[in-house]
Amino acid sequence: MVRSVWITAAALALCVALFVFTDFYIKKQLDEFNIAVTALYEKTEEGNVTTADGEAVRIMWRNKKSRLQAFVPHNDISYIDYWLNEACSFIKTGKYDLALGNLEVVKEIAINLPAGYAIKIENIF
Amino acid sequence: MALIFIRTAIIFITLLFVMRLMGKSQIGEMQPFEFVITLLIAELACIPMADTTIPLLYGIVAIVAIFILHQVVMLLDMKCSPVKAVICGRPSLVITKDGLDEYQLKKNNLDVSDLIESMRAAGYFNLDDVYYGLYEANGSFSALPKENVTPSLAVTLIDGGKINKHNLQVCKITYSDVENFLKEQNVKLKKVLVMTVDGNGRVYFQQRGKAYKILQMKLGETW
Repeated sequence: MVRSVWITAAALALCVALFVFTDFYIKKQLDEFNIAVTALYEKTEEGNVTTADGEAVRIMWRNKKSRLQAFVPHNDISYIDYWLNEACSFIKTGKYDLALGNLEVVKEIAINLPAGYAIKIENIF
Repeated sequence: MALIFIRTAIIFITLLFVMRLMGKSQIGEMQPFEFVITLLIAELACIPMADTTIPLLYGIVAIVAIFILHQVVMLLDMKCSPVKAVICGRPSLVITKDGLDEYQLKKNNLDVSDLIESMRAAGYFNLDDVYYGLYEANGSFSALPKENVTPSLAVTLIDGGKINKHNLQVCKITYSDVENFLKEQNVKLKKVLVMTVDGNGRVYFQQRGKAYKILQMKLGETW
């Protein structure tokens, strides 16, 4: 009986710790990514962006993606993949106005993704 | 992750509530919350396993949530008897010294034929072979048997105010035989809760809201 209570309490404590860690971790990773995308966006807006800048953000995202995949459904991650790759492609070909649109989408996803997993009534139901 | 935990808890509570509403006929040898866990756990394990787009951690968290809820229900079950009654239900006394309790049967979404089936499974072939019969909270049937059990097989002729035509043929009794029997008893068909007859013409007869009677019926041929 006492053992059972302890096991339950331990399981609950582990779960709460995991929830707090996951929430913090996803937010941190996406915030860092968002800062990089915002910098890329500003450079693209100014017209002095290079292919290397786009590639750097892409490499950063690849590193973060491999860790985020343990906590976030892969479909959500693939949206960022799609829009970011397209943006890099537009930067490479010099179509900055089209790249800006795509980067805007990437920024929005990075901002809104953690909110999709927050404890809110609309997310629960 | 916390979202998965909360959603699992909501589904668990909803399923438990629905299973309790469905009554004992749906449970079968398990406590309602055990049945709910059986329903959930297979799906929870399967979905993240088969769908590679969902992190495996989602399935693990949901299963751990089920484990915690199970432990909480078990603790409430042991420590608090009013909560136990709400979660697991209470045994229902369906056969008393006066016969069948129709209210208790209906409360558990059971009818007379379900009860007769449970009795046969428990080894009693006549409704008056037991003093008391009850459905436990887990849906199993228990009975206090009489010292002398009638060594015959009773067949249901009337169940909840309706004549069972198939059984009439089996017993070689005509519809008018039953009607005449009811006229002798001065009872309308709709008022009869249950009427069974065995091969020797021994009738278990109970009107709605009244105690049962053992009567005799003339049969063309015995079986």
